[in-house]
Amino acid sequence: MTERPVGLRDHGVGLALCVAYVSVLLGTASAIGMSRDEGIYVQAAESYAGWVARLWHEPKAALEQGAIDQAFRVNREHPPLMKVLFGVGHLAQERWHLFSTESASFRFAGMLSAGLLVWLIYIFGARVFGRTAGLFAALAYALLPRPFYHSHLNAFDVPITLANTAVIYAYYRSLGSRRWGYGCGALFGLALLTKHNSWVVPGILAIHFACLAFVERRARSAGVRRMALVPHALIACFTLGPLIFFAGWPFLWHDTFKRIGWYVGFHFHHEYYNMEYFGVNYFWPPFPMSYAWVMTLFTVPLTTLLLGVLGVIRELAALGEKLAAALRSQPTAAGEDWQRVDPRLTTVLLFGAMLAPLAIITLPSTPIFGGTKHWFPAYPFLALFAGSMFSAFIELAVERWPKLRVPGMPIVAGTFLLAPGFVETAHSHPFGLSHYTVAAGGVPGAAELGMNRQFWGFTTRSLVPYLREVLPNGGNVYICDTIYTAWVMLVRDGLLPDNIRATWDIAQADYALVHHEKHFAEIDHQIWTTYGTVKPAHVLTYDGVPIISVYKNPRSQR
Amino acid sequence: MLRVWTVALGLVVVVAALELIAHALIVTHVPADGDYEAAAKLVRSQLLPRDLIAAAPAYIDPLLRLHLGDRIPLAMAGRSDDAGYERMWVVSIRGALPPDAPRGTPEFERQFGRVRVLRYKLGKSRVLMDFVQNLPAAEVSLARNGVDHRCPRRTGGVPRGGGLGRPVLMPIPERFECDPGRPWLFAGSIVMEDLSNTPRYCVWQHPQGEEPVSVRFADVPLGDELVFYGGVYYEHERMREGGPIQVDLSINGRRRGGMTHRDGDGWQRIVVPSGTPQEQRGEVRIDVRAKNPDKRSFCWAASTRRKPAAGGDISVITANRPTLTGAVPNERPQPRVAQ
Repeated sequence: MTERPVGLRDHGVGLALCVAYVSVLLGTASAIGMSRDEGIYVQAAESYAGWVARLWHEPKAALEQGAIDQAFRVNREHPPLMKVLFGVGHLAQERWHLFSTESASFRFAGMLSAGLLVWLIYIFGARVFGRTAGLFAALAYALLPRPFYHSHLNAFDVPITLANTAVIYAYYRSLGSRRWGYGCGALFGLALLTKHNSWVVPGILAIHFACLAFVERRARSAGVRRMALVPHALIACFTLGPLIFFAGWPFLWHDTFKRIGWYVGFHFHHEYYNMEYFGVNYFWPPFPMSYAWVMTLFTVPLTTLLLGVLGVIRELAALGEKLAAALRSQPTAAGEDWQRVDPRLTTVLLFGAMLAPLAIITLPSTPIFGGTKHWFPAYPFLALFAGSMFSAFIELAVERWPKLRVPGMPIVAGTFLLAPGFVETAHSHPFGLSHYTVAAGGVPGAAELGMNRQFWGFTTRSLVPYLREVLPNGGNVYICDTIYTAWVMLVRDGLLPDNIRATWDIAQADYALVHHEKHFAEIDHQIWTTYGTVKPAHVLTYDGVPIISVYKNPRSQR
Repeated sequence: MLRVWTVALGLVVVVAALELIAHALIVTHVPADGDYEAAAKLVRSQLLPRDLIAAAPAYIDPLLRLHLGDRIPLAMAGRSDDAGYERMWVVSIRGALPPDAPRGTPEFERQFGRVRVLRYKLGKSRVLMDFVQNLPAAEVSLARNGVDHRCPRRTGGVPRGGGLGRPVLMPIPERFECDPGRPWLFAGSIVMEDLSNTPRYCVWQHPQGEEPVSVRFADVPLGDELVFYGGVYYEHERMREGGPIQVDLSINGRRRGGMTHRDGDGWQRIVVPSGTPQEQRGEVRIDVRAKNPDKRSFCWAASTRRKPAAGGDISVITANRPTLTGAVPNERPQPRVAQ
């Protein structure tokens, strides 16, 4: 595999993709209510950003342990980088009113991460498989329904996907340049500051480097030296990475080891939450090992998935063929055969980066409560393989049917093969977590199979018009799975009047919501017993599948 | 090799086309609200007192209740079986049937757009008395040092809170209150979620310890058998950490059967013989106790019934049996649960 040159024009294309994607995200974000996690990160972002502002104005006071602890104790189970950026977005909003809503200001850093990721996928793909493949890969990723939903949020799942992909890209570049090795270490530090999914990356790189070293040694034993075997990137990851992590998280500046221990321990002994899968509510290990694979099948557009899988097969087969030829070759032809084998083993790197997140979730002890977001870092690589396959198909088609060698053919073919992703992603909005592809029979098919319908309570946003209609003079709403800060954000965004208030008392509420998720059925039953009726006043549906039931309290005077 | 990849290319093109077509079909086959409305109108117009209304597939249950919820009492929504009903209405989409629908052809069927209405005959109801619905007529007591203390009937009060981890919001509107200091120590009709997340309309009868909490019904038509279902609230059972609960069923002062509920049993059914030709009416007493009553949120449903005609397959079951796998006829099947 020869590395293709990538120039300024390519970055222009990447930038255009990034801007377009962020624009779409900004334009569609207000239809998505804040999720539980976002609500917590908003609190943290305000706290951290307050500290940053204080550091600017009174650095000495800000650097005292009390000030640091007070600001950073909120949500200390996750590192601060993205929360600081969410908060900075909000500070910018307060000063310059850049965004149409407050929630968009918190979410902008997350959206920007998604845009940068699309840019990076294009560059990575263009460099490894060519521009056609890079462009297809970037668009194929952008048109994945679940990542599209998560790309709107002030959460860490898309940013860590960007960070991990960037580390792997930098590592790939470092195999030909020491400078990129340092870059890889620095990026790994930022990944550590983003989310704990980054912990797995050095493992991927180390395994890849071991494979690479093994193959290189075999080549050298045949008298062919192709590259230096110094793991600059890995060394930088283990030195620069932790330093940046420590420097970038003020909360670790005091009681360092105790606090790092707490942080690591929190994730190694993470609480388990509920997740429905084929009609069973899983809440405790062992979790089904098929989960990540079936959910990938049910949520990634089938065409993209098929292209990705075929791409993996094709690239691995090609590598295997060349490697086998080199290993078998006679000493006289060895040089030529070994030169044909990609010295960086790029396919192995991309395949490992795609496989690792899925393999981790496959372990029966790994919590599955976050659905697909836990293995998002696999998707850029799936998209890259899909891009490589698309590019290969274009070449194959014009080779077999020369009449197809017309200028616009790749665009027409790409549009056709990306159309399912586009249609399903567009249709998934704003119910991203409820969306399932045709492989599951769509949203109704998945509901019938007993797949999780949603989590995080963000769909309350879709009820805003109904609540405004039935509570013109205000009232109390039992908000079920919606976190209070997410509800308040609906008010801060001007969507709900402040006289429609959240309550945690079903009996005191004028209306009570139930987010349909299997384990939330008990809220239905609490309401039935308390209100003496099973009849909802309204049911919010998506493709005919109930998302939220709304009950009116028979004692309400509203 | 070229041939293989040409086939693969063809496959990708076909899959893309099928994916687009399938998506369009799925989206356009969603029933309109008007279809449900029309179906509900028909059911409402022909509904008889002992009719059961069910939805299939299960996920459209909230939509069924949206359109017909005023005709679905708690007892129907939280039924343990269909013995109290004589006909079953099914509001169905996508060709689905409820798992407890009778096998065979429905006696009535009509299509409203994408919604189908079916009606099945269930046969004459064999239920003589439903204890959950007749709870207000019962006497409830709590034993202390061998002496029964009556639990007075109370109404009113505002339940607090709402959210996961609560079997029921207390106080419920009507209950027999056994100990104001221990608000969970009451008897009352509620809907509670069982181990399989299924709603159960049942009598909450939380044990207090080794001495029983008792519910007594006087002058009960005994029929041939007493069918008793019992279970514990989902979150109090799913970790399999709680101790056993002992339930004893007595008729006219003589123990006729009982169950020992162990976590993992789920919503368990037992059938005990009740009346004889000489003993047609009598007092039924249900005692619940547990050595460790912590989080033993026991709830039960029961009725006396006539035996089915000759050839019927109701058996007397006195030992625990795995209700999560072997459903008996007419019993509302329980979904699988995480082990």
